[in-house]
Amino acid sequence: MEAKNMYIPYQMRIEKVTYEAPQIKTFKLKFVNPEDEAKFSFKAGQFGEYSVFGEGESTFCIASSPTRKGYIECTFREVGRVTAALANCEEGSIVGFRGPYGNTFPMESWFGKNLIFITGGIALPPLRCVIWNALDWRDKFKDITVLYGARTVDDLVYKHELAEWDSRKDIKLIQTVDPGGNTPEWKGEVGFVPTILEKNPPSSKDTIAIVCGPPIMIKLTLPILMKLGFNHEQIFTTLENRMKCGIGKCGHCMVGNNYVCKDGPVYRYDELLKLPLEY
Amino acid sequence: MNYKTLKTDKLPELFDKIKKAGKTVLAPRKKGNKAFFSTFDSFDQITFDYVQSALSPKSVLFPRVEELLTYKNLDDSYSIKEPELKDEVVVFGMRPCDGIALDYLSDFFLKENPDKLLQDRKNNTTFISLACKKFDNDCFCTSVGSSPAETKGSDLCFTDMGNGSYYVEIVTDKGKKLVDAFPDLFADSKEMNKVEQLAKVPVRFDLKNITTKIPTVFETNIWLDQSLACIGCGACAYVCPTCSCFDIQDECNPKGGTRLRCWDACAFGQFTIHASGHNPREVQSNRWRNRVQHKFNYSVENLNTISCVGCGRCIRVCPAGMSIIEHLISVEEA
Repeated sequence: MEAKNMYIPYQMRIEKVTYEAPQIKTFKLKFVNPEDEAKFSFKAGQFGEYSVFGEGESTFCIASSPTRKGYIECTFREVGRVTAALANCEEGSIVGFRGPYGNTFPMESWFGKNLIFITGGIALPPLRCVIWNALDWRDKFKDITVLYGARTVDDLVYKHELAEWDSRKDIKLIQTVDPGGNTPEWKGEVGFVPTILEKNPPSSKDTIAIVCGPPIMIKLTLPILMKLGFNHEQIFTTLENRMKCGIGKCGHCMVGNNYVCKDGPVYRYDELLKLPLEY
Repeated sequence: MNYKTLKTDKLPELFDKIKKAGKTVLAPRKKGNKAFFSTFDSFDQITFDYVQSALSPKSVLFPRVEELLTYKNLDDSYSIKEPELKDEVVVFGMRPCDGIALDYLSDFFLKENPDKLLQDRKNNTTFISLACKKFDNDCFCTSVGSSPAETKGSDLCFTDMGNGSYYVEIVTDKGKKLVDAFPDLFADSKEMNKVEQLAKVPVRFDLKNITTKIPTVFETNIWLDQSLACIGCGACAYVCPTCSCFDIQDECNPKGGTRLRCWDACAFGQFTIHASGHNPREVQSNRWRNRVQHKFNYSVENLNTISCVGCGRCIRVCPAGMSIIEHLISVEEA
């Protein structure tokens, strides 16, 4: 097979920068080259390598839905060298993008079922892609519920979209902030995500749970879902291991013999249980 | 397989002719008491007095640092250029175990999502192994399924027959092309028994026991016991002929820059650290376990072969005196 250099990124123009929360921004990116755009497609759950030329690459999910064509969005927190450089980019500037990489959420197999998304903090972006995808295919699913928590009211991302989901009749949104993170105006719940899940128990019948959050949230959420009667095949998550290449070579994301970047990042819970606890 | 012989005193002429044909020749040269693959001006700079080169020729296919791309700043965008690899190289004097390692690396990098840079380098390089007449206490090729007689992964395999000539096994088409280019130097030969000339490396453990057992001892404390001395320096990965983990970093100037691929190692504490600060392999014993599990378990699951060739370099180089042989014996006994 004739190999090609997989590390050459697409050039993408930042159409819009949205401030989401302290140190968290969303970029809306458009392909500079229309030919690149024409051959590009992705599915919910995939990710890419975003880069600032001269600073390096960083891994984030594609946070927009594949049903919205012509652009992709990514949401990131400013943590290191590359994300700091990205955060300094203005609308109109060019960044690099390689992808899409990784497997996808098997959304077609969820048709006719209820969906509950359980997520916290900066883990909403990887699920936002799935949520909008599901909303754009709304008649394919029964009830859609989103349980989303953050440390404080200020730390909630996609505040405008949360307000939109809150006002829509076809999606139920439960928002919560950690105790002490609420403001006097806060109308949502107060408490950690697992506690609020117990307070608002979803039926496990015909329901798919999509869980993504910090390790401690996942660790405490799964036993509650088990207690509610969810079996392993009804629970999905996406792993966010450190990655460099995105194509199963650099070794950073390895968990057992799995390269999370190509064998994942989406795992059904029973598949996840087969891996060593190195995520 | 086809066979030839080459008079040992014709080797300088062979190298000269290869160089005149525009290729680079890399052969072992001494630096202190260690041998490194290097270019040379005259034949007497080459050494034949080494059990094992300090570094494998891995870096010929997969350099320590290499350009993935270069870019120039334009007014509104970037012009991105891919590296073009055209240099033709001949590596002489690697040990047969390194050939097996190159074979593994090629499988790993080329079978799925093939890596163009590695493929180009492989196409442009001819690897000539020189079968071992000596071994030391750290050699254990015969314990991991190979031997000094192995030819897999080499293009040509030379054996000094002790009678003033090399027995040359032509393993690949690339090797044949090189031999065919110099018909006056190589003479036709029948298959010979070379094993008598080669080192008799003792078997240290039973590989089958290890590969069967290693998936079952993941949760035991042998990893901690064996890695207490580990300082996480990553030297074992640096000298390992099959270790292939890397990092990607950018370097730039006001006009443009390069995106570089550089060797990395799972022994480093930051190798797996998440942006949140959470580290899935938190302590050194986790990292050591990953290294050994990768070589003797994950590689078998993914590529149907172990990824250790018994070259012994990790043992020779470890500043803490750790030995993979001792460790594998502890797996066998666990």
